[in-house]
Amino acid sequence: MRLLIVEDDVEASDAMARGLAEAGHDCIVAPDGEKGLLAAHDGRFDVMIVDRMMPRIDGVAMVELLRKDGDQTPVLFLSALGEISHRVEGLKAGGDDYLVKPYAFAELIARVEALARRRETGSVQTLLRVGELEMDLIGREVRRKGQEIDLQPREFQLLEFLMRHAGQSVTRTMLLERVWEYHFDPQTNVIDVHISRLRSKIDKGFDRPMLQTVRGAGYRLEA
Amino acid sequence: MRLPRLVRTTPFRLTLLFLALFAAAASAFLGYIYIATAGEASRAADAAILREAHSLEAVYRQGGFNGLNDAVIERSSSTRGFLYLVMDEQGAPISGDIAKPPIAHPPDTNTWASFGLTQTEPDGSSARHPARGFEERLPGGELLFVGADVGEAQGYVLKIVNALWGAAALVIVLGLAGGVFVARDVSRNMNALTDVINAARLGDLGARARVRGAGDELDELAAGLNDMLERLEKSIGGLRHAGDAIAHDLRSPLTRLRARMEAALIEAEAGRGDPVAALHQALDDADGVLKTFGAVLAIARLEAAAAAPDQTRFDPCELAAGVAELYEPVSEEKGLDFDAELAAGLSLRGNHGFIAQALANLLDNAVKYTPAGGAVMLRVRRRASGDIEFSVTDTGPGVAEADRERVVERFVRLENSRNAPGAGLGLSLVAAVARAHGGRLELDEGPGCFDGKGPGLRTALVLPAA
Repeated sequence: MRLLIVEDDVEASDAMARGLAEAGHDCIVAPDGEKGLLAAHDGRFDVMIVDRMMPRIDGVAMVELLRKDGDQTPVLFLSALGEISHRVEGLKAGGDDYLVKPYAFAELIARVEALARRRETGSVQTLLRVGELEMDLIGREVRRKGQEIDLQPREFQLLEFLMRHAGQSVTRTMLLERVWEYHFDPQTNVIDVHISRLRSKIDKGFDRPMLQTVRGAGYRLEA
Repeated sequence: MRLPRLVRTTPFRLTLLFLALFAAAASAFLGYIYIATAGEASRAADAAILREAHSLEAVYRQGGFNGLNDAVIERSSSTRGFLYLVMDEQGAPISGDIAKPPIAHPPDTNTWASFGLTQTEPDGSSARHPARGFEERLPGGELLFVGADVGEAQGYVLKIVNALWGAAALVIVLGLAGGVFVARDVSRNMNALTDVINAARLGDLGARARVRGAGDELDELAAGLNDMLERLEKSIGGLRHAGDAIAHDLRSPLTRLRARMEAALIEAEAGRGDPVAALHQALDDADGVLKTFGAVLAIARLEAAAAAPDQTRFDPCELAAGVAELYEPVSEEKGLDFDAELAAGLSLRGNHGFIAQALANLLDNAVKYTPAGGAVMLRVRRRASGDIEFSVTDTGPGVAEADRERVVERFVRLENSRNAPGAGLGLSLVAAVARAHGGRLELDEGPGCFDGKGPGLRTALVLPAA
């Protein structure tokens, strides 16, 4: 993937670029909003990672300008400001996701990959299919190898999110934000228990486990 | 030039303003009285003079000049109070009780005149009285003057006017004295407030204004000032405490982190050990520090804000059901009997995210500290007072009464919870969320001891339903 990193903290952007390159991504770094805009106009990027508070043009203004020009490249905001109103501000300006500093690198990668994926699946789907697993979004039914699996409403939402991001790592924070819509960090690993319940429903009795734990990051649904 | 302080005070200025208004009103009032009384008196005197003149004319028409002369001589010596003078065609006096005609040139038509009359008093002194009279030419060419001493009537009016001026002067003096008194009184009370403000400005937040109990606006001001200082002192104290606590609580994990990395480096340089495992451990330690830091920051933000930000109206039971759903699997896995009792149809205004987090923290504690086989109960209801109560009751070891207040403070972890995960900020955050919504966090004993469990803990987040 081609990524644009717009961040005024050079050390942070260096570390980020190194990590992302290690994960196989191509990174361009811009030190402020003005240079970020120029870079965004020049090259085609899959995802832009934009710091909120920067000299000259700040992140929010930069993304607003991009969106006005019709550039729909997915944007992940990075910010030390994490209150709901800040998130709403970032998303209103045209951001697609919002990550509060400090963050784990696994979190950043998972979100960047999720954003790139979101772009590919533009049309409204009524049926999700990952390997042996099938989800009927209208009939609210899930089958594996044609065998119906009975899920609670929340388990259904959880599986839907995992299926939409199949093959990618999704973090606990992403699940908490997208499936439960909470923006705090529960001290106990409540998400793990929800996942293990879901796992027992979709993997038990089948030869191959689909829902896998990714050490240090979160979970991944494999086809 | 700087005016004396007293004169610059607001009450004194108001007094002056009212005195000026009063003086203007009094002047208008006096003017009216003067015109009404003095004008009336002179009109009455003129009418009497005219009547007397007409009666003498009648005498003249009947008895001719001699009859008039006799009548004037007779009337001059009576006490009718009029002045008379009969003159020939050239204006030379013939008879009457004044020596000289008060009107210098004999007029052709009827003429009025005001003049001064020197009169000899019974004690021999002489006084000048104001007088007024009317002169006319009789059909035979002689001149007749009839006048009156108007000194008495005018003196009466003058007396009234003087008395009123005196009263006005008295009012002004009393008003000024009252103004000084009120200004002194108010400025003494204001000075007390100013002293408190100055003390606070110089850093003494412990100073408090005296509320006199009069229930007036000065008392309101003093109470408001005290309340403000109270909050300021608390929040500054809280910040100071938070600073100390952060220093204390972040220093130990940071020291641990540093020591582990140093040891790993030494081992790696010697070609031993597992640098990857050491880095994983270091990352976990750093995450722990950041988590603590985030929680402290959230609490500080909530405490700094006057009210929780981004408030919306929502159903507290829906919120509780969501959080309960999040925690239900964890508690079941731990072998706890989890139950929720949610009253329907309630409404609450607040920050949804913070309240959800607070409730999550309460459930988290209950699940964490209740041993297997115990029970956790979540309840949402409206109290008789109208407040909305979110309560979590468990059958864990509970918190001794002596520790209940302390356990809410930042970073306080009781001895028996040292080994459980957490930074000791959970209840502090709940308390901060409660305060930011004008509510409170209550800690009580749970259901009591039975089957070797308990006595349990009941935590309640009580928020006013606004």
